[in-house]
Amino acid sequence: MKTEIKPEFLVSPFLVSFLVHGTQYGVGVLSFQRELAEFVGHDAWISIIITGFIIHILIWMIYTMLNNDKGDLFTIHQRTFGKWIGNLFSLLFILYVLTMAITVLRSYIEIVQVWMFPLLKTWPFALVLLLIVYYVVTSGFRAVTGICFLAVVFPAYLILTFFVPIEFSNFRNLLPIFDHSIYDMVKSIKGASLSFSGFEYLLFYYPFIKNPASSQKYAHYGNLFTTLLYLLIMIVTLAFFDQEYLKIVIWPTLMMWKIIKLPFVERFEIIGVTTWAVVMMPIICLMFWSASRGIKKLFKVKQKKALVVLLFICFTISCFLTERETIQQYNQWTSEIGFYILFCYLPVLFVCYHIRFKMGKKI
Amino acid sequence: MKMWFRKNPPKREEHTLFDLILQYKKSGDFVHFHNPQTPQPYWISYFGSLIDVEILHRDILPYLNRTALTSIKDVKKILPFEDVLITSERQIIEDALLRGSVLIQLHEKDAACALVRAEMKKSREVTIPEEEYSVVGPKEAFVESITTNLNLVRTRLPISELQIREYTIGSLSKTKVAVLYIEGIANEENINTVCQRLENLEFYQILDSSFISQLIEDNGNSLFPQLIDTERPDRVAGVLAEGSVVIIVDGSSHALIGPISIMELFNAFEDYYINWQMASAFRLIRVLAVSFSILVTPIYVAVLTYHYQLIPKDLMVTLVSSRRTIPLPPFLEAVILELTIELLREAGARLPTKVGQTIGIVGGIVIGTAAVDAGLTSNVLLIIVALAALASFTTPVYRMGNTIRLLRFPFLLMAELWGLLGIAIAFLFLMNHLLRLTSLGRPYLEPIYPPRMKDLKDAIIRLPFSLQSNRPHFLQPQDQKRFLKNKASEVKDIDE
Repeated sequence: MKTEIKPEFLVSPFLVSFLVHGTQYGVGVLSFQRELAEFVGHDAWISIIITGFIIHILIWMIYTMLNNDKGDLFTIHQRTFGKWIGNLFSLLFILYVLTMAITVLRSYIEIVQVWMFPLLKTWPFALVLLLIVYYVVTSGFRAVTGICFLAVVFPAYLILTFFVPIEFSNFRNLLPIFDHSIYDMVKSIKGASLSFSGFEYLLFYYPFIKNPASSQKYAHYGNLFTTLLYLLIMIVTLAFFDQEYLKIVIWPTLMMWKIIKLPFVERFEIIGVTTWAVVMMPIICLMFWSASRGIKKLFKVKQKKALVVLLFICFTISCFLTERETIQQYNQWTSEIGFYILFCYLPVLFVCYHIRFKMGKKI
Repeated sequence: MKMWFRKNPPKREEHTLFDLILQYKKSGDFVHFHNPQTPQPYWISYFGSLIDVEILHRDILPYLNRTALTSIKDVKKILPFEDVLITSERQIIEDALLRGSVLIQLHEKDAACALVRAEMKKSREVTIPEEEYSVVGPKEAFVESITTNLNLVRTRLPISELQIREYTIGSLSKTKVAVLYIEGIANEENINTVCQRLENLEFYQILDSSFISQLIEDNGNSLFPQLIDTERPDRVAGVLAEGSVVIIVDGSSHALIGPISIMELFNAFEDYYINWQMASAFRLIRVLAVSFSILVTPIYVAVLTYHYQLIPKDLMVTLVSSRRTIPLPPFLEAVILELTIELLREAGARLPTKVGQTIGIVGGIVIGTAAVDAGLTSNVLLIIVALAALASFTTPVYRMGNTIRLLRFPFLLMAELWGLLGIAIAFLFLMNHLLRLTSLGRPYLEPIYPPRMKDLKDAIIRLPFSLQSNRPHFLQPQDQKRFLKNKASEVKDIDE
């Protein structure tokens, strides 16, 4: 089952921080504020910190399993649950990855349709984006990592734009602190899970890292950077918007960009949406890379064929999601599934793996 | 008799030397004559078009006429050449004759003969580099003769570690190709890759080094040059010392350098002759110019077609007043102007220098002004397109300039299709392509990806020599150190 990966396909450990951050920082950034503020209002920034902390623990769990196993999700599943059940769980996980990919792709296209081209048909744009995905993924994991890296480096200038609204902000909006119950906090963490997801692909690309055990700290750095960035955006958003207004704004980040004015550019949100094409590209690429690699390992088919099939499924489903409500509904579901997979299934797997491992040792 | 048969088994008739000569005699420039007046009569044959008649008259014939030869081996003693070859092997004789040797025989039907090299060396003088001209620094450029070129490189690197491997490539052209590297610095893998590809090369004719570069590049379908061609011997010596591999082809005034990364396409070798602040500034300007050149016309089209909201009020007034009377949509306007510029460039390149210059000025000024006056294009776009064309000429590597000019058109098309988003998509495609590309198996986008901080010192900027104590990492040199750092940059206290 285990096949050694040739050294020329491996990537340096420190690139893991770009892989983790690059996949977390995606379409969710444009809209995550509302889902949090819905439950905890001006305390949303606290739940960002808590979620970031939980993700650190999850990354630690993943690394403990992977370092022990020296494999990936599939070997872990097989060792924990046996061949058949393990593979079934792997397949379900791949399905989850695919649904996430569809969410990301369709949400981005929706943003484009709302903010830039109201008359743009979904299918041609989805087709072109998926063609790029095909081009990247067929170039192998090094190219996927490269796109992740460039997609973090190039749009980095957008971070500066988050400071601009501070001029028009009122930081008293953040007071009083700790104004919400723990139950509300938990619910808000559920809302944040979609924007923090992305680190779980470690389970797929772990064997492609040089000295994989040494990459753990970089994964934590990546998550730390994401948390800090979200914290900045959240605080600025809370200070900039009125709370009641924030609950009805669908894309608060884009709304904040509206006030940026440069001598040669107005309506900065158009540039933001354009740049977001570069930001969300690596996420879809990594998702499809992971999913197609999973199918290759499970069914022993060529990764290229698996990729084509997955891209076709994604293309078809995204074309059928036409109404704003259906997309919203779909995103709601995936967010829910994502929450349970990340925050419930991964710890359960961790526990099961360790019980099994200890038992196996004794026998 | 028996011995004679064993030595020269006459299986087929054309195997004897005499038949070979008879076959060559069909060609008008083949000379084959007998001189019976001398102490020892001899036969002499050569291609008149390949040999230097002066050598023949001055250094060969007088000695042959003066001395009595008892056997063919005596030719070696009497002629003032260090490499007179006595052989009877047909393949060697054939090669030598076709490369400009004179063949001497004592009897017409002898199998053994003496071969004396007397090829005519014709090559132009070493001149000033034209494509990679630099204001400061040496002004020598390669010529078409491989011997002169190798001399130009070797005089700059008089060390025994400089190795040259020679190949003969081309079934018809039999071109000499030399691979140069410094042993102990250049990575074995790179050398082997180059040599392997050259050995596997099957082609009928190599007229220039660009043939080789097209044939051995990693991705032949890419627009981007994956080997740099240079006409500067100093650049070749410089990159050899960094650990690159260089290919020099006979008959070509350009040497090929590999492996390269994309950043080297923005480096003029002049950058090393001026101080580092200047060099860094110029490199930054070049990178900006290239991005400007690719993106600015597409952005104009995208913004004016779809995103006019992006333009602030004051700028809008300028743009609108410039475009008010233009009947064409921005895309057509831009394409027409871009094509005009390409037309001027192509015409200028095909014509003799002086006429070309005139055409450039006349075309540029007259057509440009007339197009604006006639109301076909706007002033703003004219400025943009002209600047973009100018910017594309800032790249020090000529082939890169062509790449940039061609890249603009897909970007334009995407801009017309989906505005800024189309440009972003084209950009993503370009990025992926560059990520995928390799030069002799080394990543093309290095040091950007894979990110290597150490190599950034000599990429987009050039830091002072004292900080460049290591050779570029992406060439994976066997010997990392250029020089010992602590000696070069000793920190001194005040008044010490």
